[in-house]
This record gives sequence, C-alpha cells and structure tokens, in this order.
Amino acid sequence: MDLRALFAGRLIFVTGKGGTGKTTLALALARVIAGQGRRVLLVEIDNQHPSLTEHCGRAPSYEPVEVEPRLAIANITWFEALKEWLGHIVPVRRVVRLILGNRMVRLFLDVTPGSRETVIHARLMQLLKRYDTLVVDLPASGHALSFFRVPCKSAGLFPSGPIRRTLEAAVARLRRPDTHLVMASLPEEMVVNETIETSQALAELGSWLRPSLVVLNQAMAPTLREDESELLGRLRSALESAGSDEARELVRAGFWEADRERDTGEAILRLRQTLDAPLLVAPLMGAGGDPGNRARRVEALLLRTSLRRAGDAR
Amino acid sequence: MSCQALQSLILNKSVVVLVGSGGVGKTTIAAAAGLQAARMGRRVLVLTIDPARRLANALGLSSFGNEVREVALPDAAAGGSFHAVMLDTRATFDDLIARMAPDEQTRRRIMANRIYKVVSDNFAGSQEYMATEKLYDLHMSGEYDLVVLDTPPVKNALDFIEAPGRLSRFVDRHIVKWFMTPYDEKRIFGRVLVGTSGVIFRLLAVIFGREFLEELSEFFQIFREFMDGFHERHEAVVQLFAHPDTAFVVACAPERASMDTAFFFADELQARQIPFGGFVVNRVHRCTADGLPVGALLGELAGRLSADLAPHTAASLLARLEMAHQRLRSVAEAEAPRLARIRQVPASFVCELPLLDQPIRDLDGLLDMNRHLFGGGGGA
Repeated sequence: MDLRALFAGRLIFVTGKGGTGKTTLALALARVIAGQGRRVLLVEIDNQHPSLTEHCGRAPSYEPVEVEPRLAIANITWFEALKEWLGHIVPVRRVVRLILGNRMVRLFLDVTPGSRETVIHARLMQLLKRYDTLVVDLPASGHALSFFRVPCKSAGLFPSGPIRRTLEAAVARLRRPDTHLVMASLPEEMVVNETIETSQALAELGSWLRPSLVVLNQAMAPTLREDESELLGRLRSALESAGSDEARELVRAGFWEADRERDTGEAILRLRQTLDAPLLVAPLMGAGGDPGNRARRVEALLLRTSLRRAGDAR
Repeated sequence: MSCQALQSLILNKSVVVLVGSGGVGKTTIAAAAGLQAARMGRRVLVLTIDPARRLANALGLSSFGNEVREVALPDAAAGGSFHAVMLDTRATFDDLIARMAPDEQTRRRIMANRIYKVVSDNFAGSQEYMATEKLYDLHMSGEYDLVVLDTPPVKNALDFIEAPGRLSRFVDRHIVKWFMTPYDEKRIFGRVLVGTSGVIFRLLAVIFGREFLEELSEFFQIFREFMDGFHERHEAVVQLFAHPDTAFVVACAPERASMDTAFFFADELQARQIPFGGFVVNRVHRCTADGLPVGALLGELAGRLSADLAPHTAASLLARLEMAHQRLRSVAEAEAPRLARIRQVPASFVCELPLLDQPIRDLDGLLDMNRHLFGGGGGA
C-alpha cells in the first residue's frame, strides 16, 4: 500500500462513526507526518468535549498549542472562527463588535444554514498558511457530510459576497490533490454500512472526495482452523444441557473471538467490494489501555505499512 | 436486576426517548423495549432513524417513507400491538409545512423557495427537529399507548434537544420582525435604511450578498403568515419532552468516551428538568472467573468430542480458549470501574445488558435480548 502521497498531504480529513478510533487515527497520522520533519496541526472542530484532551493531556484551544515537537493541536470553535472571519471582511474592529454585539445578528448567523461550516472552512484555510499539514479530526459522519456539503451545495444560495468567495476557495482547496480523506471503520455491520453510505454520499458531492485510505480498526484475523471451529461448536452443544458455568464461560470466550473474526472477514469483504480505496486492517489492540499508547501503535502500523510499499517499489 | 425499572418505565410512560452517542445499539434497545411493552399488552410504536438493514427487515421496514408498519407478534397479551416507522426527514418537513400553510398557494411558494430547500435538506439539525415533530404527531394521534423514539446520533450530546430550538429560532418572530422592519414588505434595497438596524443591515448585505438577503426576505414574508402556528407547535413539543409521562433513557457502551457522553447527557437533561429515567449500558463484557483451569474443565469433553477430527485439535483449541478467556477477562476488568461509576449516579436506574453472542437480526434476536433485559417473563 502506497501511503506516501497521503503522508505528503497538506490537508487531511479523518472521519468515521463515533467509537471507530477516529481521534487515535488522526493523532497517529499527525505524528507520522511530524516525524518526517513537517510542522503539523491536529484540529478538532467545534467540540464541546474535545477528544484530544484525553490523548494529549491538555484541552486544545482555539489558538494552536504545540504539544510535541512539530505537532500542535487546536479546537476550532465556531464563534471564534466567526469573529476572525468577520475581522477579515470588516477590518474595523469596532464594527465587528457592533455586528456581533447585536443579538439579532448573532441569532441570524447562528441559524443561517451553512454559516458555521463556512467560517470553519475559512479558519482551516488560514491555518494552512501557518502549518505544513493540517490533520482534521472531523465530527461523526453525518456532521462530516454537512461539513463538505455546505461548500459544494450552498454556493447557489450566495450568488455574490464574501461567503460565496470563502465557499469557492474551500471547494478549490478540497479539489486539490494534496487534500485527502481518511475513514475509520470497525468490523461491525452497522459501522461498515455507515462507512459505505458516507463514502457514497461524499462521492456524489465530487469524485475528489474519495477516501485515500480506509482503516478497519479492532480487526481480528481468523485463527481458528476448520476442525477447531467444529469442536468449539460441539463443545457449546454439549455444555448446553450439562456442564459448569465456568466451562460455559470458556466456550463463550471462544465464540466471542470467533464472532469478531467472522465479522472482520465480512467487513473486509464488503469494504473492498464497495469502496475504491486502499484498506488498512488494524488489529485489535486490547480494550481500554492508555489512549496515547494506542495512538503509538497505530502510528507504528502506518509506518510499517508504508515502508513495506517503499521496499516493494525498489 | 435494575432492568425492572426500565420495564416499569415502558409499561407506564407514554413517550420514551432513547439518546446517546452513535454505535451503542440505541435502535436495537428501542426496538427490544417496545417489543416487550407490546407483548405485555400495550399498543406500541417505535420511531427509528436508520436501523441496521437486517433489523429493519425484521421490523418490516424495507424502505423509508414515514409509513407505519405493524409487526406481527407471536405471543402478545390481549390488546398489545407492535408498530414501527422509519423517519423520512424531508417528507416530515413537507407535511409540517402543508399543515401549517393557510392555503395551497403559500405552501407552493414555500416549497419553491431555495432557502426552504436548503433548510429542510441540509440544515444540521433538521433530522433531529423532524424526529421530535414526528414523535409529537404520533403521540397525539392517540393510536398508541407508548411511542419509543430512537434518536439520531449527535455530535454534541445537546444537539438533539437544542437543534429543534435552533431551527425554530430561524423563524423566530423577533428576528423576522427585526428583519422585515427596515424595508416593510418591499425589497430591502428599494428603501433607505436608517438607524443601527440600517447599518447592520448594510453589513449583512455585504457579508451574505444581496441576493441571499432578498431570497431570505421572501422566505420570511411567506413564513410570517403561519409563524404563530409553527411556534405553538414547537412549544407543544417542548412541553411534551418535559411532561411526567415522558422519560429519557440514555444508552451507552462501557467505553470511556461513550460513558462520558452519557454522564454529560444525563446532567444536561436533569439541569433542564427533563424527566430522566436512567441508563442502559449495552454490550457489557461478562467474565466472572480468573485463570480458569481449561484442561480440568474441558479437557476430557474436548478429547471425547474430537475423536474424528484432526490430531491435536482439542489441545490447540483449548490453548486458544485460554487466551480468548484472558482477553475477555482483561476487557471486563477495564469495564468494571466504569460500571461502578455509573451505578453511583443518583436518582436513576442502570440496566446492564451483556454482549450477546449473535448480532440481533430478527424478532427472535430481540426476544433473546429481552430475556437478558427483563427475564423470562412477558407475553400472554
């Protein structure tokens, strides 16, 4: 799998259903790129409870803060972004205050469709001037979809003016080949459905929104041989009527893993069949544990995967 | 088990709303709880957003479209019936407009307005809003004793409660009035704007562009005609949420992020005096013992059952089971302190649901889940 183009990307969006390991993946990706000597900013979008807090030991603020060499984090809150965006359009600070101080205008800006997404796109483009690479940890898929839909679909609502210009610039930025989309998924039927549906909805917005990489987290490769599966099934039937709770618990543990393996197989098959994107299968790393460590392991996996490819090419 | 508290909820309340982060099995829990109430004699409707395909098929919901389906029950008590419907956001929005519009012409003008189209299709929150709208409608129809709402996944826990308000504020009478005042029914730029409103207005025109503001003024002009009905309705929905016959149930998985969301949600519900029932923790890993003697427990049986299989099958499977059990144990241990924490939340129940061996794909799966939730009972 050739991940060099992704690692050289300037604007990388990471998305996936809640609980798919999106933030861990975004952090790992940011570290890989920072490790190549580039200055990276890892961004969350308008998150009241930023997920990065747990990973980085501090809450990301609107202004980026460096947490590791060449790696900074930030949380783009929409009101701050709005203030900044207005500041670019109306250079007189007193007037910006007047606008934002008006309750009606605030309400108006808050509820006008697309205004949130617009100013956040604007902020991302500003930050791109200051960093080599932005890795964006997008909110759960539905919201991620509206994040892309606004610049692609709302331009018609604004035939002129600065919103129009910002949206056009955002679309131009999205279309560039160094903008990438990475999706995280899990070996569960509903999560795989969601990955596929989101990907299809994004592709309808524009072919450039095709994922550069899909990561299937918490995968368990099949390890049971046919004979062993057969015996496991027989043990379960035999213990149904007789046998101790403890014996049943052992067999249940076996099925717990076997189910996960079967689901992994089904997920890989479906993602490969429906998505035209490289698929990276990331093994289950044990539940719980330190989120920082989990990110380290995903980072190692990303590096290993790309090295393997570099070796093949030679 | 505390799940008796959940059972009492679904037998006594008329609206149960399931909230929580995505991927915790809200839809399945909603369906299972509704099924239980139906089997115990209530007329139940489950309003769902986007169920897993197989579960949808099991409930007879092969397509979207706001169409209520009755699900045949093998053993419902007298009077009990089970219905399901999948929300269609756009259709619900159009229905609402059709009901509110004073005449056909107004309805057509709204439908043709570009801002309406964007708002009803794309507005972050229109799905949440329409879910509450549909819930109200179904509740008021009087055809059901209990309506269970499975809410859409939300980014921030509050979105579900706030989005309807946010959208409703878009046609807030004050904002519309303020917006309309400077140019009084006519086009904005046909009139001289004066005062602070005038200044701000010109600035808004700079920011949004004239065309957008003109389109918006048209939108507001049409909407003004039935704004009162619109707001009354929103007020009624808000009142329904706070009514003592309504209960919110927070679903979560025993994972840190999911539980943090659940705590936050419970706090917010209580702070807003919305009736909060309790938590359902789904997919709890159960593992009781530590370091079970695999050989002693299963060696003899496995040897006997594998006589016709390849050599060493029993030995390798047993080794595998020992490892699997250790992994299960470590997962269960990581969950234990989180479960202990949630049990300490005052004035609420905690219903724990073990991870089931099979994903739920049909009515039998739901019945199996109910055996875990409510015990063997239920049914006539």
